[in-house]
Amino acid sequence: MRQTPSIALENVTVTYHDQVALYGINLALPPGTIVGLVGMNGSGKSTLFKTIMGFMTPKTGRVWIEGLPIHQAQKQGWVAYIPQSEQVDWQFPVSVQDVVMMGRYGYMNWLRIPRPIDRRMVETSLRQVDMLPLKDRQIGELSGGQKKRAFLARALAQQAHILLLDEPFNGVDMKTEREIIQLLMQLRDAGHTILVSSHDLSGISTFCDQIIFINQTILAYGDTQEVFTPENLNRTFGVPLPGIMP
Amino acid sequence: MWDWLIAPLQYEFMVKALLVSGFVGVVCGVLSCYMTLKGWALMGDAVAHSVTPGVVLAYALNLPLAVGAFVFGVGSVWLMGWIQKQTRIREDAVIGLVFTGLFALGLVLISKTPSNVDFLHILFGNVLGIPTAEMVQTLVIGGLTLGILLVFKNDLLLFCFDPTHARSIGINITGLHYLLLTLLSLTIVVALQTVGIVLVVAMLITPGATAYLLTDRFDRMLILAVLSGLGASGLGTYLSYYLDAATGGCIVLVQTLLFLLAMVGAPKYGLLRRGGRPG
Repeated sequence: MRQTPSIALENVTVTYHDQVALYGINLALPPGTIVGLVGMNGSGKSTLFKTIMGFMTPKTGRVWIEGLPIHQAQKQGWVAYIPQSEQVDWQFPVSVQDVVMMGRYGYMNWLRIPRPIDRRMVETSLRQVDMLPLKDRQIGELSGGQKKRAFLARALAQQAHILLLDEPFNGVDMKTEREIIQLLMQLRDAGHTILVSSHDLSGISTFCDQIIFINQTILAYGDTQEVFTPENLNRTFGVPLPGIMP
Repeated sequence: MWDWLIAPLQYEFMVKALLVSGFVGVVCGVLSCYMTLKGWALMGDAVAHSVTPGVVLAYALNLPLAVGAFVFGVGSVWLMGWIQKQTRIREDAVIGLVFTGLFALGLVLISKTPSNVDFLHILFGNVLGIPTAEMVQTLVIGGLTLGILLVFKNDLLLFCFDPTHARSIGINITGLHYLLLTLLSLTIVVALQTVGIVLVVAMLITPGATAYLLTDRFDRMLILAVLSGLGASGLGTYLSYYLDAATGGCIVLVQTLLFLLAMVGAPKYGLLRRGGRPG
């Protein structure tokens, strides 16, 4: 029996005003995989993210999250977005625990008063990413890796099945990058589907099960060892990139 | 000291003024936390100035002044959004354009209206002479605003911190955006009687900014902002009584002084603590 894809796009076209941002997108990402999304700036990576999160409505085609239309999947809290570091106001007066609790808002009543189960889920999620001892820290007082882990904990508290990470390795050192990758692989093994956008090509082939090459449309998609070829890199970036291939 | 505090209370107008300005300090204190965290200082100033023609028209049509202020407050924000969509002008320029235009309209309307004494009160506040009817109106609208703010406290915080996440779990952030704008308009209506249109923005920013320097916790920030708003209103009103000076000005001066104190002496983010290094 075939599994329902975590994320499925059927013949999706997205336009900004009258300009085509994405066209002819067909994808079916299987559950429990890490998928790298590779493309130049302006190639439509963030548009694809916004489409999967339901922030942009495709002009044609349909998007399914585990077989449900996006807005139903949203209400279920299935999709979590882990923002780029630059998009977060790290001076904001919230603690790690406060941020993770925000993952529970979809489950609380409209006053958003945490119930015992919400507190338990927050604690479990913090423990899962090794952040429980730092739960009372203001978010700006964390290292780069700890910041990412705090937001991953929020996704876990949200009980999201699908994690979207936008350029998670921007501005983090090698050691932190390895930490994050290790955590992502653990989450993948626990059944999460993880979509990572990155322009860090050398790193991405080492931990992604599959890779999508994108430039307005899908140039190539498949298992990493099959599609991570000089030809595809060349097609995606328009120039030969020496030294990246092993 | 005791006499200094008690003596003015024999006058009914002082009791009323302290009650109203203190209450306004509390409401503005709560809202100011969201304004500073969302970066809406300019927006607050813009909406405050934009209500002027609404107040004059409401007076001319014999409607409650709050109705006119509210319509123009929300209308100005709608107008800013509309102009931005239609043209290529940047947001800050659009805000500046709309509010100065509306404020100018208000000034012209004031100058063409026979009894323009009342309108000077709208511009500069007149809490010492507040009529009972307007006091009741202030308390009712302020209470309503405070209630809504407390009910949506956490949603609004999430909206300020991470609207993308809010949206991705199906929370209506457009709704929250307009809710916060509506609360801003209502708060401006509430604060008009006390400090006037010209200084309203101080009430909407300074307590929050002061509290932000003193803590890293939102709940504590709320409490500190309310305390500084309340304290500044009380002390400012007393000062204005003893110095025979403009009440709105005195309140805002005390607020600014509190901010400077926090800026220098805050335990973690104060200049003394950091040895003058920028944070």
